[in-house]
Amino acid sequence: MGPYIIRRILYMIVVLLFVIAITFLIFFILPTADPAALRAGRSPTPETLKAIREQLGLNHSLPEQFWLYVKGLVLHFDFGNSFINDQDVRGLIFDRLPNTLFLITGAAILWFTFGVLIGTISAVKTGTFLDRATMTTALVAISAPVYWLGLVALYLFASDIGRFPILPGNGAYQDAHGFFAKIPTLILPWIVLASAFAAIYARLTRSNLIEVMSEDYVRTARAKGLTERRVVIRHGLRAAITPVVTILGLDLGILVGGAILTESVFGIPGVGRLAYDAIQRGDLATIQGTTLFLAFAVVFMNLLVDILYAFLDPRVRY
Amino acid sequence: MTRSTLRPLLASVVAALALVVAACGGSDSGSSTGSSSSGGGASASQETGGKQGGVLKQLGSTDVDYLDPGHTYYTAGYQVLYPTQRTLYSFKPDNSTDPVPDLAASKPEISSDLKTITVKIRPGVKFSPPVNRAVTSKDVKYAFERFFSANVGGQYASYFSSIEGAPSAPTKGVKPISGITTPDDQTIVFKLKEPQAVGVAAALVMPISAPVPEEYASKFDAKNPSTYNTHVVATGPYMVKNDAQGNTVGYQAGKSIDLVRNPNWDKSTDYRPAYLDEIQMTTNESDASIAAQQVLTGSHLALDTNPPAAQLKDAVTTKKGQFVQLPGGGYRYFPLNTTIKPLDNINVRKAIIAAFDRDAALKARGGKFTGDIPTHFLPPGIPGFEEAGGMAGPGYDFLKNPRGDMTVAANYMKKAGYPSGKYTGNAKLLLIAANADPGKAQAQVAKAQLEKLGFKIQFRTVPQDAVYTEYCQVPKKQVAICGSAGWFKDFTDPQSMLEVTFKGKNIAPDGGNNNLAQLNDPKVDAAMDKASTLQGDARIKAWADIDKQITADAPAVPFDWDKTTIIWSKDVNGVGNPYYDALDYSFTSLK
Amino acid sequence: MSAGAPELLTGAEEALSVEATGAEREITARSPTQLFWRRFRQDKLAMVALGFVILIVFVAILAPLIVKIVGTPNPQTTNADLTDDFGQPLGPRAGHPFGVDKLGRDVFSRTIYGSRVSLEVAFIATALIVLIGVTMGLLAGYYRGALDTLLTRAMDLLLAFPVLVLAIGIGVACSGKDGCAGGLIQPGLTVVIFVITLTTWPYMARIVRGQVLSLREKEFVEAAQSLGASDKRIIFKEILPNLVAPIIVYSTILIPQNILYEAALSFLGVGIDPSTPSWGAMIADATSIFKQAWWFMTFPGIALLVTVLAFNLVGDGLQDALNPRTSK
Repeated sequence: MGPYIIRRILYMIVVLLFVIAITFLIFFILPTADPAALRAGRSPTPETLKAIREQLGLNHSLPEQFWLYVKGLVLHFDFGNSFINDQDVRGLIFDRLPNTLFLITGAAILWFTFGVLIGTISAVKTGTFLDRATMTTALVAISAPVYWLGLVALYLFASDIGRFPILPGNGAYQDAHGFFAKIPTLILPWIVLASAFAAIYARLTRSNLIEVMSEDYVRTARAKGLTERRVVIRHGLRAAITPVVTILGLDLGILVGGAILTESVFGIPGVGRLAYDAIQRGDLATIQGTTLFLAFAVVFMNLLVDILYAFLDPRVRY
Repeated sequence: MTRSTLRPLLASVVAALALVVAACGGSDSGSSTGSSSSGGGASASQETGGKQGGVLKQLGSTDVDYLDPGHTYYTAGYQVLYPTQRTLYSFKPDNSTDPVPDLAASKPEISSDLKTITVKIRPGVKFSPPVNRAVTSKDVKYAFERFFSANVGGQYASYFSSIEGAPSAPTKGVKPISGITTPDDQTIVFKLKEPQAVGVAAALVMPISAPVPEEYASKFDAKNPSTYNTHVVATGPYMVKNDAQGNTVGYQAGKSIDLVRNPNWDKSTDYRPAYLDEIQMTTNESDASIAAQQVLTGSHLALDTNPPAAQLKDAVTTKKGQFVQLPGGGYRYFPLNTTIKPLDNINVRKAIIAAFDRDAALKARGGKFTGDIPTHFLPPGIPGFEEAGGMAGPGYDFLKNPRGDMTVAANYMKKAGYPSGKYTGNAKLLLIAANADPGKAQAQVAKAQLEKLGFKIQFRTVPQDAVYTEYCQVPKKQVAICGSAGWFKDFTDPQSMLEVTFKGKNIAPDGGNNNLAQLNDPKVDAAMDKASTLQGDARIKAWADIDKQITADAPAVPFDWDKTTIIWSKDVNGVGNPYYDALDYSFTSLK
Repeated sequence: MSAGAPELLTGAEEALSVEATGAEREITARSPTQLFWRRFRQDKLAMVALGFVILIVFVAILAPLIVKIVGTPNPQTTNADLTDDFGQPLGPRAGHPFGVDKLGRDVFSRTIYGSRVSLEVAFIATALIVLIGVTMGLLAGYYRGALDTLLTRAMDLLLAFPVLVLAIGIGVACSGKDGCAGGLIQPGLTVVIFVITLTTWPYMARIVRGQVLSLREKEFVEAAQSLGASDKRIIFKEILPNLVAPIIVYSTILIPQNILYEAALSFLGVGIDPSTPSWGAMIADATSIFKQAWWFMTFPGIALLVTVLAFNLVGDGLQDALNPRTSK
């Protein structure tokens, strides 16, 4: 197990290095403003532009810039400074990370619980009207774009503008201070973000469980006289849920950056939004930092999930 | 939502010409004053007493560019700078044409050869904690010297390049400037290489002249970039909250700024009433309409910039006492690149302007409450505006109808050699637009207007910042029409409003070009050369004539004389400062 | 999970068809394809959804005709008279059943034409993804070795990149005056298709590779190899036919996913020319004023929902028809 983990970690580092390199490349074809020109005021002299470029480290060649960046990262855990306002990128990211994590973790708890619950019930009641109705509703939830759902939710329920004002709306998250105060402001975002995922997880759980339930050992358990409930939960679900858990891990990794749509609609200052704004402004340092961090989240969760899987499934041997 | 007001910068070519705003001893003869503010907060009542005390909260989505007086250049930065720093000269809210002495004790003394400026420093002005001592002329000298260092990065060096010893390129570290001398603690003398004193004296209103204590700041200025930005000390009635070491703890970049009273500010040395005890600014509001809504219906709030259309409508129609409209001091236009066929034909350009529904373009920005439809270029509030025809303008037929006039347009097209009245050629014109509203919306209007006349448009959207620096300002990119162009004042002088944008000699072929239409009319250039040497009324009349000439050359479609609307809650006595187009904290009070 | 040829053992009763031909009774087995269609046709919901899909395709093709019949103006026609003094659009009224947007353009027309963008992008992108993904997956899975390692690593790298960030980055990068890849990829639909294809093909490739890896070990492949069949023959005759089912299944998931993907990119302002009507872009435009102007968030949103749902239901039906074990 040990050598496997080490190999995977080394591999992860290689992947991340490639990510940095490719981000550099993409930046150079971005038609965004020359960051030096942006900071130089209007009608700057060539000398002023040169001085600013030096300050930002843009006068080095591409490979040099890459090397300097990696060096700063490894030695000082320094992500550089934003081109827009000189702010330390690491600070920017870690400032916003809790917001994103709060959003996706809450949503994940919601969707996992409901998804598995609904999926199990559907699997047990396969073929009934309830089953078909639930699965079709799930499909509707998957088919709706999350940002549209968000807008509709705000339009209907936001306390400041909604038709039935019951929950805090856009921007409320930022105004609330403190962990507990923020919870009500996240209810709408959680529901919106969780709905599509809950549907997916319900369907996944259902199909996994149905398959597992027709396995021999489940038949044996029934034959042994165990209650149906025990059979389903202790034998069926336990096996069916493993792949769902691994997918949960992967989804969380992706969602750190992928929640940008929900973050935009509800005004939650998250990491995804930071990356988006940075790309629009051509702020290379922040683009680098956020891309790297988000890639790390994905790769890290992948690794975690793989290790978890290896633990759970004794058949997997490395 | 961000209104990044870029401020015009005189090119070094222009710096060689004399600038007259307030000639020595004389008063400014500008007939159009800066007080064309309309709306609830009438300018006349702005200085008549308000309630002392209280905390004002301003909701905003734009952060200051910099707190450092040597570096800042944007509206957001100015709004914090002027209440916290005392520049040599400044503008009161009711008059943005005549500067008043602020840190200076009196008007600048200009020698008869126009090469020396002497300014007396007002005694009794002190730095805020932790510096705590009285301001001397040496602090102003240091402020100028650090401005030129690469570590600080001043953004309008060309205004002061005529000072003897002023560096021509950013210096490594702070270097002394021989032309600035301090014979005693209350006197500072600027010696110039050329007879530019009037212009340089006028530029002393800019943040560069805010004093900086060398013994405290030099250690920050030694770093590149300088860290004085997070250690600024103040001389005005307010300061950014800081700790005993001078760290600006009240400044949370991208989040908020907290301004508190400067304990060392002496009211008797200042014309500012400074009613408020504290100003809390947020700089990260994510939804402009929500913020605007909160301001209009809440208590002790103000908005940093123009509200979105819905709230603007609300304020203008139902909340008359809660807003003020300030002239933006600039014009927005669609430059027509005169070097690209068929735009090189003046009749084609006139046809385009004639056919253009400029009202629709203005609506894309929020309609008639966000600006007026121009009939020439000099905007309201700039001397020369009235002389060039005021709101009605010189009366050219192709600018007569703000909704566009297809008949007039067809006639011009026929004159240009297109008998059908529409363009029948093959040229595809490149139109570059910002990828966010309102730039995106207004560019789409432009596209539709051009297509009305039969032109084929290649429409490209790029990030906001790139529109100018990567495309419109780069002649090589051959942008036929720039979808987001505007030009705003640094201070109220007609030369700075027209020369950089329309003088043929100012075309910069390699980039950083601001003559976006690449207008190159030798008659206009000659008139500009002549007008720049004039003073007083003659000068204003000359530049107004140039404005008419430029308009007749049809280099662009002017569609907006910007107005800034500032809104506040009903228990706020808001006062706007038209110099930097934002709420003036030193004059605003609570009810 | 087997995605191979449907088991003939289950549903034995439908596997055989009994026909009376005169005096003799013939019992013939139905081919897998026939079985599949039979099952699909019996799924009423899926059939209705298929009807919808066909309807939407027709709407997209016949968009100009529909708009002409309803009498609303061209989707590109701006009209400043339909916005009030503050630039706010007016709502549904005679002549504009769905209202107008900020520039006075008719929302009904734009919603109808929006179907073109969604379908075009989704179909083309999916086709490309299948093409590239299957090719790469096949090559990697069959030949293994260095080729496999290289391809898998490349896929891993692409998959590690935060998808939306990569998409936005490339989208913005290629929106400049000349596009990118030497002008091959022009701003507009091409960029969006490029971005979607680039970020999605690894998923397809991975699945195909997995399938090929397991098929490779099966006896019939071994048999073919021992008979001296060339690689090419094996791939085309033995492996590819067995991939058809999972490819179809995954494609039916991909199409609606790509419709949503394109809408999300348009929502974020990437790629599409703003005057081209796209449902995602229309919803994005609505964000700033949906409290007052509910109509241009509603109609494109519903259009998106219905379209994606229809495709998803068809996809579901197809999957169930191919895999009766998980059917209802």
